[in-house]
Amino acid sequence: MNYIELGGGITSVTLCCPARYATINPTIAPEKLGTALDFLRKIFRNWRSLAFTRSWAALILALLATVSAAQGPENERPIPILTGSAGFFTNVNGGQAQLVPEMNPVILLPLGDRWLIESRGEFKGEFERPEGGGPYGGKVEKELDYLQVDFIANPLVTVTAGRFLAPFGIYNERLYPIWIRSLQQVPLIFPIGTGSSDGVMLRGGFPVSPKVNLNYAAYFSTLSTVNKFESDRTAGGRFGFFLPGPRIEAGVSWQKLLQEDRTNAFGFHLAWQPALLPLNLRSEYARSNLGSGYWIECAYRLSQLPFWSKAMRRTEVVARAQQLFAEHISENEAEVYGLPDVNTRQGDFGLNYFLRDGLKATASYGRRFSSDGNSNIWTVGIAYRFVFPLGRLGAK
Amino acid sequence: MKMKLVILALVLVLLSAIHGIAEPHKKDGPSKDGPSKDGASVAAVNNSGYGDAIRIEGEQRFRANCGRCHTAPQKFPPRMMATVVRHMRVRATITDQDMQSILRYLTQ
Repeated sequence: MNYIELGGGITSVTLCCPARYATINPTIAPEKLGTALDFLRKIFRNWRSLAFTRSWAALILALLATVSAAQGPENERPIPILTGSAGFFTNVNGGQAQLVPEMNPVILLPLGDRWLIESRGEFKGEFERPEGGGPYGGKVEKELDYLQVDFIANPLVTVTAGRFLAPFGIYNERLYPIWIRSLQQVPLIFPIGTGSSDGVMLRGGFPVSPKVNLNYAAYFSTLSTVNKFESDRTAGGRFGFFLPGPRIEAGVSWQKLLQEDRTNAFGFHLAWQPALLPLNLRSEYARSNLGSGYWIECAYRLSQLPFWSKAMRRTEVVARAQQLFAEHISENEAEVYGLPDVNTRQGDFGLNYFLRDGLKATASYGRRFSSDGNSNIWTVGIAYRFVFPLGRLGAK
Repeated sequence: MKMKLVILALVLVLLSAIHGIAEPHKKDGPSKDGPSKDGASVAAVNNSGYGDAIRIEGEQRFRANCGRCHTAPQKFPPRMMATVVRHMRVRATITDQDMQSILRYLTQ
């Protein structure tokens, strides 16, 4: 056993190595903790009077005040990070042009060896010209996607509490950020089983053999009508496996609504990234009382082409086919959930050009077929992922 | 009809990809697949030393896990990387072993 003394902030921590299973004995300097708690108390006292944007920023700053000082001097101790994505897109949907600036800041606050507080906000404008002409105008949506505390209990289990993304399929949790998604238009079935939930979740991943990893997530969420923390009372989970050799991933998801009509939703996902090809194949299927459907997406990086190699290795072509089978939901319900109210098919083709790490230009064309009428969907824009440290980086 | 053509095209791409990777796998055996306990890592230990084996293993796990969602990012300073990897462990349910290996690789 090695013993490491970390101090100098509002906490002093004794770690018993190995670090993975470190025992943490916090000794808190009262005067510094008092200051931090006073700050937190003021924030929460004024919570209701603060606007959403200011509240989110204030909470993050308060948490930063408490944890930034808790980081030890070691060069490999994690530090708080501000990351996220920003983008600007122009969509033309059925002849209607829409300007969409978007920003998704993510804050990551590690505490000790096992804790992580993480949060993501969404600020998205959807500006259109009014009927009859005029300047672009519209509202800016502000959402709190997640604000969760993660406790890595052991190599098998991570406990998450707070507001989190529902673990249904892979798109909601992993592919949603605009710098990650290959096509900026979300799949038609995306609203099924996804969104954010307030509650508790157990999750983890572990190997059962050198060739097979299993992963799971199980959660319960409570009903909430608090502004920006809206949630349904649900229970659900996801179970999947990943084969690191052939890089194949598959899994099933389930969600039970524990209120109103107590409906079920089921999902299935499959992804494959062959090791020797710059190809990314993903697919999801989902079914609920709102409808059912699937999408299949294939993204291919042109790095293997023998000409214009400098440009080609930065270029990715994407194709997606999807179909939604609508159930008997009203037009209003469909609008609330963001789902088509009639059977719909759609094919999309896109092109991404990675200008540099975290910065890509994107363009896509899609054709939607439905009994409401066929339409073209054009998207062009730029997405950027930013990362800023919120603490001392230490020696390099 | 057009949708069927799109699906057919995707299936063809899938089949050609399977065909493309089948031969190299036969030639290389399991070495391209397993990250740690396979022939590639053992050979690397024998030829280039333990450090190289660790690096190769870390790179394989990095590409297998991180590449599931996004392209390889640049390397950040170790203290930032430690936070990012912890975040991704939770978000992508990466195993503890993979997380340790990827963190070692990204901070070397």
